[in-house]
Amino acid sequence: MSVTEESKATEATPDDDILLNVEGVKVHFPIKRGVIFDKTIGYVYAVDGVDLQIRRGETYGLVGESGCGKSTLGRAILNLEPPTDGHVIFDGVDIASLKGEDLRRKRQDLQMVFQDPLSSLDPRQSVESILVEGMKAHGIAKDAKEARPRLRELLAAVGLPPQALSKYPHEFSGGQRQRIGIARALSVNPKLIVADEPVSALDVSVQAQVINLLGDLQEEFGLTYIIIAHDLAVVRHISDRIGVMYLGSLVEEAAAADLYTTPLHPYTKALLSAVPIPDPDIEDEREQILLTGDLPSPSNPPSGCRFHTRCPWRQETRCDDERPALRVVEIDGFPSGHRVACHFAEQIHRGEIEPHKVEPIAVDPSSFEVPEDHGTMMAEPPGVNTASGGDPARGL
Amino acid sequence: MTTTTTERRAAVRETAPLLSVRDLTVTFQRHGEEPFRAVDGVSFDVRPGETVGLVGESGCGKSVTSLAIMRLLPKRGNKVTGTVNFEGTDLLSLSDAKMRDRRGRDIAMVFQDPLSSLNPVVPLGVQVAEVLERHRGMSRKAAMPVAAELLKRVGIPDPVRRLRDYPHQLSGGMRQRALIAIAVACAPRLLIADEPTTALDVTIQAQILALLKELVEDTGTALIMITHDLGVVAGLCDEVNVLYGGRIVERGDRHPLFRDPRHPYTNGLLASIPRLDAAGERLTPIPGSVADNLPWDHACAFAPRCSQPIEICTQVTPQLEVADGRALRCHNPVTSGWSGPSAGQTEGDVAR
Repeated sequence: MSVTEESKATEATPDDDILLNVEGVKVHFPIKRGVIFDKTIGYVYAVDGVDLQIRRGETYGLVGESGCGKSTLGRAILNLEPPTDGHVIFDGVDIASLKGEDLRRKRQDLQMVFQDPLSSLDPRQSVESILVEGMKAHGIAKDAKEARPRLRELLAAVGLPPQALSKYPHEFSGGQRQRIGIARALSVNPKLIVADEPVSALDVSVQAQVINLLGDLQEEFGLTYIIIAHDLAVVRHISDRIGVMYLGSLVEEAAAADLYTTPLHPYTKALLSAVPIPDPDIEDEREQILLTGDLPSPSNPPSGCRFHTRCPWRQETRCDDERPALRVVEIDGFPSGHRVACHFAEQIHRGEIEPHKVEPIAVDPSSFEVPEDHGTMMAEPPGVNTASGGDPARGL
Repeated sequence: MTTTTTERRAAVRETAPLLSVRDLTVTFQRHGEEPFRAVDGVSFDVRPGETVGLVGESGCGKSVTSLAIMRLLPKRGNKVTGTVNFEGTDLLSLSDAKMRDRRGRDIAMVFQDPLSSLNPVVPLGVQVAEVLERHRGMSRKAAMPVAAELLKRVGIPDPVRRLRDYPHQLSGGMRQRALIAIAVACAPRLLIADEPTTALDVTIQAQILALLKELVEDTGTALIMITHDLGVVAGLCDEVNVLYGGRIVERGDRHPLFRDPRHPYTNGLLASIPRLDAAGERLTPIPGSVADNLPWDHACAFAPRCSQPIEICTQVTPQLEVADGRALRCHNPVTSGWSGPSAGQTEGDVAR
């Protein structure tokens, strides 16, 4: 994917507009076993070759189900999890190759907002001390006194009262704690913020407050976001572009609106059709693509297309043994920014290939332990219930 | 299709309720602390074959309600008052032994976290057979084939082999299916599902919801669905109860409720969730958090977060008023249905 990433025809982007360039990143975790000597008996292929570009000032959403590697990819981008292979080029510097002091300095530009605001804030530090710590480390302020005016600004920006400075994390509600986490990320003037499930621990009424806040801050400080989430509605709401991950690799990438109106990859189609919509009229009409079984084990991924074991559109040729590359798909009048990793995306879209019932495949339970919460066997479904040739995303 | 559902719905409305909860109140009492009412005078009916939703955010009392109905709350430190009438018997006044006979046979429950609800050191088959042994008086030998049949019914592949598996050998979705198999083993007339899909991924959630729907349609089991996800409710429930601060604030059949939410809280919830089928307009959050609630005994608990409070809201407790199959607890209801994002204020961006 060395070709310049094109957005919609109207806004072609020069190369220097790309803030982050992820090239062939892989993160493999060794599985070790042994009493005295640890022997590596296999790998969990958490992230297995991802290419993506993120432009300055955009919000990139990364979605997928648990165990698909989206969080690991987010951590690999920040080098919190050193990639096994590949490059993460941020502003012209390959972060994956940085070490020690250089890496520490670079971290000023890349900050993270974590999922669980309580466990990511030190319970014994006051808000002031939490916020000042990063500023001191990066030489923005020498001590709390000097940082005071900036702290006030930060708190105002995230919508907390100035009195919050002397309080401790347990004194706040979940939504307020997440605001502190966001303020901490902002305190060092980062260019890129990776937010890993920033709202999934919050109640729905509070979720909206934080989502709006993220949007406002982006406008105010010109931030670039990578939002990692499993909630497709949230991701659609805040993202400019969205990448869908399945079993360690990107299967589809497109502008948010395009992805939702015309999903091309069978997995994306199924994922979108599974999201319940709070409107009974739509729910009554909607036809769902029920996927069969569970995610295969990332330590023993299927050959060829990773999705072929569950795909209702699987073909006899190619799908089983040839891994599809993420390629730009041109279907009459489609924006060229739409990338999809499916051999038959065009044919499926034109309705030339009909979905069929997925025959259950007896996969032997893998002998490896898998750190994810997923079992190691494939499951037989109660039958595939697909939209009969119609557009499964109808009503979306 | 819609006419048949309406007709079916009308027929269901006519039948006598299977479960009738009246004025259910659960008070947590701790030594040296103010008693806290987690559930405050909740009343609702469930008719045979009906799916009733209890919706609300964390802390609204929806799970405590279900635990009180099942008599699963610890005896110490809390007081349960009111009546839970199940086919003429008040469950709350039954002896413990009598209640044990009913639990799992007449009323069964599916919990949120399938891993912690299954015994990790007992094979799956034994856990399913146990219910049959206890309530049907079957021997282990006779119960095992039935257990396999049940696992097959809920869509677990290779059920005979799975009987010997332990819970950790199954995936999250499979565990939840196993839990449902245990719950429906004795063909209960009422099934209570407490956030059954919250721990699962969306594609697995869709499978489990389809399974529950199918079970309800095939067996005529009544279902109480407890969830925070309005999307799940929209597709599954016949009647929806919206809870706030331990009380029901609005009730209605799903179509009228979603089309025309009357309570500012229901309306606010619908306006604050991003929707998959709508473009990225600015959301209208509900300002503040549950910590701002007023006590129900002399005010409306929701008043400090309400988009349209009037003077009386902070002075008088609103009563639950029932009319045309809908119920509403509000002094100043939303009039013209969905107020849309523009009507609300964006004050919510400032945390209080």
